[in-house]
Amino acid sequence: MSRFHDEVQAIRARYPEGSRSAALPALRLAQEKHGWLSRQAIEETAEALDVTPAFCYSVATFYDMLHLEPVGKHTIDVCTNLPCALCGAQRVIEAFESELGIHAGETTEDGEITLRAVECLGGCGYATVVAVDDRYHHSVRAETVPEIVGGIDGGT
Amino acid sequence: MSTELVRVTIDERDVHVPKGTGIVETALAAGVEIPVFCYEPRLGAPVGACRMCLVEVEGMPKLQTGCTLTAQDGMVVKTARTSERAAQGQNGTLEFILVNHPLDCPVCDKGGECPLQDLTFRYGPGNTRMSFEKLTFEKPIPISPTISLDRERCILCYRCTRFSEDVSEDGQLVAANRGAMSVITTFEDLPYTGAFTGNVTELCPVGALLPTQYRFEGRPWEIVDVPTVCGLCPVGCNINATVREGKVKRILSRNHPEIDEGWICDKGRFAYTHLFAEDRLTQPLQRVRRHGLEQVSWEQALDEAERLLRAARGRIVTVLSGSETVEQAYALGRLLRVALDSHQAMLPEEISGALDAYRLPLSAIRDADVVVVLGDVPVVERAPVVDLWIKSARRAGAKLVHDADDPAVAEAERIVLVWSGPGGRGGATIAQLAEKLGLAGREGCGAFYLPGTPNGRGVADAWAACCDEEGEAVEPIGLLVVSGDEAAADENVRALAEQAEATIVLSMYGGLAAGWADLILPGTSYLERDGTFVNLEGRLQRLRRTVEPPGLDELEWISQLAARFDVDVAPYAAAVFAEVSERVYGGLSFGEVGERAPLRGYPDAPEHVGREALPEPAQKARKGEIRLVAYKPLFSGAAVERVAELQFQRPQPELEISAGDARRRKIATGDHVTVGSNGSAITLPARVNRHLRDGIARVALEHANGLGGVVEIAKAEEVPSA
Amino acid sequence: MAEHKVLLAGADEHDLTQLAEYRAIGGYAGVAKARAMTPDALIAELEKAVLRGRGGAGFPMGRKASLIDRKSAKPKYLVVNADESEPGAFKDREVMGKVPHRLIEGCLIAAHAIESRDVFIYIRGEYLTEYEILSGAVEEARAAGIFGDVEITVHRGAGAYICGEETALLESLEGKRGQPRPRPPFPPIQGLYYAPTQINNVCTIATVPVILEMGAEEFAKTGVPSSPGTAIFSVSGNVARPGNYELELGTPMRELIFEHAGGIADGRELKAVIPGGSSVPALTPDEIDVRLDYDSLGAIGTFFGAASLIVVDDRCCMVQLALRSTKFYMHESCGKCTPCRVGTRWMVQILESIENGTATHADLELLDSVGDNILGKVLCALGEFAVYPVHSYLHKWREEFVAHVEHGGCPFAGSSSLEGIFAPSDQHAHTPAGEEALV
Ligand SMILES: Cc1cc2nc3c(=O)[nH]c(=O)nc-3n(C[C@H](O)[C@H](O)[C@H](O)COP(=O)(O)O)c2cc1C
Ligand code: SF4
Ligand code: FES
Repeated sequence: MSRFHDEVQAIRARYPEGSRSAALPALRLAQEKHGWLSRQAIEETAEALDVTPAFCYSVATFYDMLHLEPVGKHTIDVCTNLPCALCGAQRVIEAFESELGIHAGETTEDGEITLRAVECLGGCGYATVVAVDDRYHHSVRAETVPEIVGGIDGGT
Repeated sequence: MSTELVRVTIDERDVHVPKGTGIVETALAAGVEIPVFCYEPRLGAPVGACRMCLVEVEGMPKLQTGCTLTAQDGMVVKTARTSERAAQGQNGTLEFILVNHPLDCPVCDKGGECPLQDLTFRYGPGNTRMSFEKLTFEKPIPISPTISLDRERCILCYRCTRFSEDVSEDGQLVAANRGAMSVITTFEDLPYTGAFTGNVTELCPVGALLPTQYRFEGRPWEIVDVPTVCGLCPVGCNINATVREGKVKRILSRNHPEIDEGWICDKGRFAYTHLFAEDRLTQPLQRVRRHGLEQVSWEQALDEAERLLRAARGRIVTVLSGSETVEQAYALGRLLRVALDSHQAMLPEEISGALDAYRLPLSAIRDADVVVVLGDVPVVERAPVVDLWIKSARRAGAKLVHDADDPAVAEAERIVLVWSGPGGRGGATIAQLAEKLGLAGREGCGAFYLPGTPNGRGVADAWAACCDEEGEAVEPIGLLVVSGDEAAADENVRALAEQAEATIVLSMYGGLAAGWADLILPGTSYLERDGTFVNLEGRLQRLRRTVEPPGLDELEWISQLAARFDVDVAPYAAAVFAEVSERVYGGLSFGEVGERAPLRGYPDAPEHVGREALPEPAQKARKGEIRLVAYKPLFSGAAVERVAELQFQRPQPELEISAGDARRRKIATGDHVTVGSNGSAITLPARVNRHLRDGIARVALEHANGLGGVVEIAKAEEVPSA
Repeated sequence: MAEHKVLLAGADEHDLTQLAEYRAIGGYAGVAKARAMTPDALIAELEKAVLRGRGGAGFPMGRKASLIDRKSAKPKYLVVNADESEPGAFKDREVMGKVPHRLIEGCLIAAHAIESRDVFIYIRGEYLTEYEILSGAVEEARAAGIFGDVEITVHRGAGAYICGEETALLESLEGKRGQPRPRPPFPPIQGLYYAPTQINNVCTIATVPVILEMGAEEFAKTGVPSSPGTAIFSVSGNVARPGNYELELGTPMRELIFEHAGGIADGRELKAVIPGGSSVPALTPDEIDVRLDYDSLGAIGTFFGAASLIVVDDRCCMVQLALRSTKFYMHESCGKCTPCRVGTRWMVQILESIENGTATHADLELLDSVGDNILGKVLCALGEFAVYPVHSYLHKWREEFVAHVEHGGCPFAGSSSLEGIFAPSDQHAHTPAGEEALV
């Protein structure tokens, strides 16, 4: 059996027998392995969890952080919820759009970076919050955007 | 639920119900209807999703969902009838439900039998305040060749997904996305496959999930639902056949709580179009010298039959399918045994009368502590609904074991034994086991044998009851009379026909016996017959003629033929039944069999049926050996083969192998394996089944190529090119 | 009143993510103290402290523990709600990032009270750094043998606000879609894996060691009698010094905003305060002379909620505020119950029409009425969270809504601080291959 399979079994062992609690960690693992939750990724996860692919698919589509479409190697998530928006998150995301030459929700042509507008990231006191590959940057302003993009491996 | 009665007040009416009764049921007991959409107790715990059932409960500040509440002593509930707030809540919910619902009722097959339409009619707003764009989806999309999904009509009550998850446990129909964008779907565009998928079309309270076969086929005021019993397997689910202008248009379940709980399998639901198969015989066929068969009139056919019967008097062998009604088998017996002194028959299978001491309704399986399933054919392939009962037992905490020596059996109070597959000696084996475990008379304990035919037991009863004489073995066979398509499709029967001087076949389809019959008389379907069936519980049930057969029905021509030999056979099922009943069923009248037949004992039933059990010891595989079980799949047989929409349900050519056996042979799912014994071999893709025990491998009969018994299995060196 | 750090005590001076440093300031003493007590006595002590849940509803933590069916043959579970996703809230994150051992200590004490051996901390998936710090602390404490026979598992969510709702959290922890369950049965009777379960917010549990240290009696003397102790208040929006402030309950709101948080930024005027995270009714500038505790806020028709104040200055268009807020709740609606699933989308449509000037006066009534049809009729409170703030904007700033209708558009003419109203582009509308949702 594959390493992925073994890893999932190790996760399953942390939860009561027969529970499906390993579903989220396993899907996350599959996503790390494949880049996104492709049909194959979902089928592998389902097999390792002993559930149907439809079950995994159903769960995956519920959660924002699980991607059912290909995404860039890196993700930039810009919080656009109220506290950040009150402090100008719109200008920050516009700065990312022009820096990357794409709209929110899109991936750069070279497949490197996906830019997304997201809901509250839990850093409201330090608006605008931007998560680059899930690492938070606080108090981002339009002016600091080029620096952030430049700091990404292979960034444009 | 306890037996303690509590007092609940519903809209100022007091009712006494057992504590814990659902409030929807409690209200019903008080004569009050609480409207519901998502609530369906057969799907497990209520989910409180649709919010249609809002009621006011004294002492609770917020409106409550009636469906999730249970009766407690002194509870005072006001429904929309007496509570302004509850009425407002309900109206609000209904308005929300209708916000995205398309106004396509005029072209919706659900129209007229749609709970959403009914509740809107009764409680709904007369106009809409929604002036924005509704959510739209591509529609309808097929989620399988038999079911279509209209996402715009879906109200997201989650009944279908709960069925898939918690009743059939196939886990294929799911919800995707969340919030307003939630949709019902299968994975990718794979068809919803499984033995029970069609039930979701009945569960759906709107026209979102519909059977494609019924699309635009009828309006509710043009149809009649005729109550009958499914004749395709030994469960005998209670069904309604929807009939319009003399044609069956749809099959619906007709909840018999002890047998099927309102679930039917996809074969029973969708295979009815076998009635309209292109090769359906409507006229008799007669062999004209060597030039094959020719259509003849019934009169000619009966003349020919009379000639053949007369010529072979005393030397006739009858083969029965087990799908005949009790009455047909009895009438045939009267003709062939009484009139023509030919007693030798090949009954479809042995059914042991010893099982009667362990008789239980199927629903008792749900309450078992342990269910022992023996025999190696998947239960779902033999008697599909029994599999649902076993699943519900397991969900309720019962253990499912495959070995009667399992320690769980000794500890359990309620033990149910199930034998599924060949080698069970018609149930004698399992009856012996039940005896050994001392199950007789113990509450909740019993034994079921899953026969291979729908009415094998009733046929055997009737054949035995029609005559007291016993015949001797016939050699050579003067005339072979083959009754039914199952028998006609059997290779052994064909071999017999070759030895016989002449053969008469009763078959719905010409193709089956075209090469070897001398006379083919058109047969009828269970949907066209009046009569009775005995199911695997031993329950006598009533079949009703839902539509006229295209030709004479069996009783009619048997009666005419018998008259030519001066034997009286009534052409009516009721009269024939009366005779059988006199001898077998304690004189029960046809009318008394009942629409929802109870499980009765028949003390005067002859012990006959347990004719000498065939010595058929299950070939025990030794350690390390694998025994191949080639089973007859649910989706197979003459009817299924004739329904294009069901072909996707037929089993893949693949070998199921246990996880342990696969590991030892380094076989993974998808690998090709060779299966061989005695010099013949087949190559198939393998599928590892974690739930299969070691030493057993399984393949559908149609892919087994005649293999069976102990086999060698190895990873294929060369993968056959497709 | 100065900041009063008990939950965050020591974090400025020490690196309390390190076990040794946490121990050096007396950490984990509470575990030994608690384990010397019987579960009954411990629960009695917690009840005496009247520690009200910091996750929003304010139910006393000790009383919840007393409801646990400890006689059940099933295992008992303690679940920590670290899903913090309410817009405006970022306090749990600070606790996990700075004093993870205090949270772990709280878990061990609470587990002893309810006789649980299995603790799950459900942390929102986006909190990667905090997850690493917390898991590191869990490993360290486990290795140091502090757990005894208790096991703590940190479980990551994957991005869904609804998973902060306790029963949705349980479903998600069980590996399913995070959709709320009907209650009753409540978690103390039937929770995780259908076994008795105590669920508390991060700050609630992290306060438990403080109670053991101070003694319930002393603890109950801090804050206000109906809500003792401190809370970490998250302040965001248009203030000069946004951030977290740990203060005693009962601190005046004005003091928090104008002293600790430095008042309104850029010399603007205060327009509104949403005091409990974006889900509660907002206050006008003349309503902010209120104390920050459950009952005081409740008395003026709003909620303590997640102790998270979003301060809004006069540049903000209230219709845009309502629209952005409702878009969030629509995006996060789980889709299980009808009023929330359908109602939030309908509200967004109405608010869009108000904002773009196509609405009529009747639409303002419709907005009100759609909200009413959600309130009190939903399966969980998310649907109500969508309505509370919008109703308050509509009623308290009605003239602005009316102005939109009468001007045929936004009177701010592009100058509102929320202009543009960006909302997530990904609306969870994945459709299976070969099918297309035509939204
Ligand atoms: C939609 C919704 C979201 C919630 N989100 C959170 C959350 O992120 N964190 C939290 O602690 N409680 C949240 N709650 C409250 C929880 O349901 C629950 O009341 C709380 O975790 C109990 O802990 P406490 O008693 O310590 O406050 C939320 C409730 C609802 C209805
Ligand atoms: S109120 Fe919203 S989030 Fe809560 S159950 Fe209903 S649909 Fe789901
Ligand atoms: S029937 Fe009660 S919520 Fe649907």
